[in-house]
Amino acid sequence: MSVLTTDHFDEGHFEAIYEQYFDLLLQIAVYKFKVPDFEADALVHDVLLGYLRKADSIIDLRSWLIGAICYASRHYWRLNKGHASTDDENQPDPPDPMLVSVLDSLPDQIAARELMSRLPLRAQQILHMRFFEGCSMIEIGERLGVRSKYAQKLVAKYLKRAADLSQDPKKKTPKKKPATKTKETP
Amino acid sequence: MNDESNVVTFERSRRRPDPARVREFAVTARRLQAERQSSSELVERLLRTTPRNEWPRLAEEPSMRNSGALEKLAKEISSRLEKNPQEALALSNLATAIAETLAFDAYPAIVLAQIRAQAWKDRGQALRYLARYREALEALDRAEALLVNFGSLMHDLAVVMYVRAITLQESGEFDESRSLLNESGLIFKEHGDVRRFMYCAVAEGMLEFRLGKLLAARQAFTELLGTARSIQDRETEARLHNNIGQCASRLGELENATIHLTHAMTLFDSLGLETDVLRAEQAAALVTLRKGDIRRGLAELREARSGFLSHGMIEEAGLCGLDIVGALVEEDKAAEAVELAASIVEEFSDAGLNRRAVTAVEYLREAIRARRATRATVTSIADYLGALQRNPNLEFVATA
Repeated sequence: MSVLTTDHFDEGHFEAIYEQYFDLLLQIAVYKFKVPDFEADALVHDVLLGYLRKADSIIDLRSWLIGAICYASRHYWRLNKGHASTDDENQPDPPDPMLVSVLDSLPDQIAARELMSRLPLRAQQILHMRFFEGCSMIEIGERLGVRSKYAQKLVAKYLKRAADLSQDPKKKTPKKKPATKTKETP
Repeated sequence: MNDESNVVTFERSRRRPDPARVREFAVTARRLQAERQSSSELVERLLRTTPRNEWPRLAEEPSMRNSGALEKLAKEISSRLEKNPQEALALSNLATAIAETLAFDAYPAIVLAQIRAQAWKDRGQALRYLARYREALEALDRAEALLVNFGSLMHDLAVVMYVRAITLQESGEFDESRSLLNESGLIFKEHGDVRRFMYCAVAEGMLEFRLGKLLAARQAFTELLGTARSIQDRETEARLHNNIGQCASRLGELENATIHLTHAMTLFDSLGLETDVLRAEQAAALVTLRKGDIRRGLAELREARSGFLSHGMIEEAGLCGLDIVGALVEEDKAAEAVELAASIVEEFSDAGLNRRAVTAVEYLREAIRARRATRATVTSIADYLGALQRNPNLEFVATA
């Protein structure tokens, strides 16, 4: 999708574009790269502005923006070395094969979101962190208050549920059992 | 503890952007769009109606002093690089003059940096086409310096790095070129820019080709064919076929070479890339000669040469002419070869090409006339002309 390749736009078109990607990019900068909130806002703004003159040549806007915010966040930490997060956190996670089979294979983000909406709230939250915010397992674990290995198990479990749903659209989501500490704590 | 309480819901965590920033984004987007639309025809008209020696004064023209006009200038530069690099350089001088004198608050700082960096990058490209490598690298230094402080402009920076890699490769600095291609390729990949990632891989194949590693080069090009097709980049697909054909020809796989060069010609033709069709025709004609069909090979070369001349590509026509001269010398048709060499001298002189090139072809003409020239003599002159494109001050050393 391109911002600037069409001749006429509805009122509010550009504002909508900004709002559409702002949160995703902010989450990546804040949660994945731990850029302070107020700085992350500025980075996201720069990324979106930087896109405008290149609109004609970019085919996959979402990927381009994610790449740009990742580089912008790393650059931020290079300039703020004293407070830098570890290199380990800046390394991209290895691709998750289930992501490829379930979310990436869906025609677009909308389909993925529709599928997500049919999952239990907890599954939505965890998958959102993983695949929409780009959080690592460590980061998901931190946010859930569980170990990263357990976070990984949860992601795998909910991905499988999403995969089942995508293959059988009529299948209803099983009613969510109340989570217990013993069950959810690794 | 129930860990549900640790999960921040998506809606609750959703942050709203600062309205002032959204406004700046939308205003900038609309402005860039409007400038792009209003500048296209205007720039074309101004360039058409202004004599070339007066182009520098266009930098003062208010309607030229915006991002849209500079984008159009960039397109005009790009379209002239092959056929008329001098004119491309004149336009890039105009573009840098405008970009560097835009007010510091004319655009958001990051957009202004992009505008200026593109102008310098294009200048680097034009200088590269003129084999003025040192100046080209200086222009690219300037482009990089403008971008390096903006972490979100790494994609722009990678484009400059890619041009630098090609420039270094053409000037014989292969190791640094390879390293830059790897680095810029990774940046393109991480931005999901498959097309430019592929360009880097093609350039790495060219690097192997220049190093004489024909098998490695052919493998690199062949592996990229699928990518080019999958993203429907027909121009790159055509170039890959052309390159594979060139490798196969040098490896003595003449049938394979013909197949790929024919593919390349068909694709270039369908894309309207006439000069590329001519280059592929020239390569295919050489394959025909090597297959032993001298009469047909010579006819094909003459056709390609005539095409180069009709496009005003004097150097290319001269090099193609030398291919013909070589075949004629080998066929012991000295009179015909002398006549053609004389035509090339005249064409080079009339076009005001490097005097060294004229001297070299004059020398060849006399050597053929004196029956001292062999096919190897012709090849060495052609190689010298090729080297002269990369190093205009290279001295000519007689070989026959």
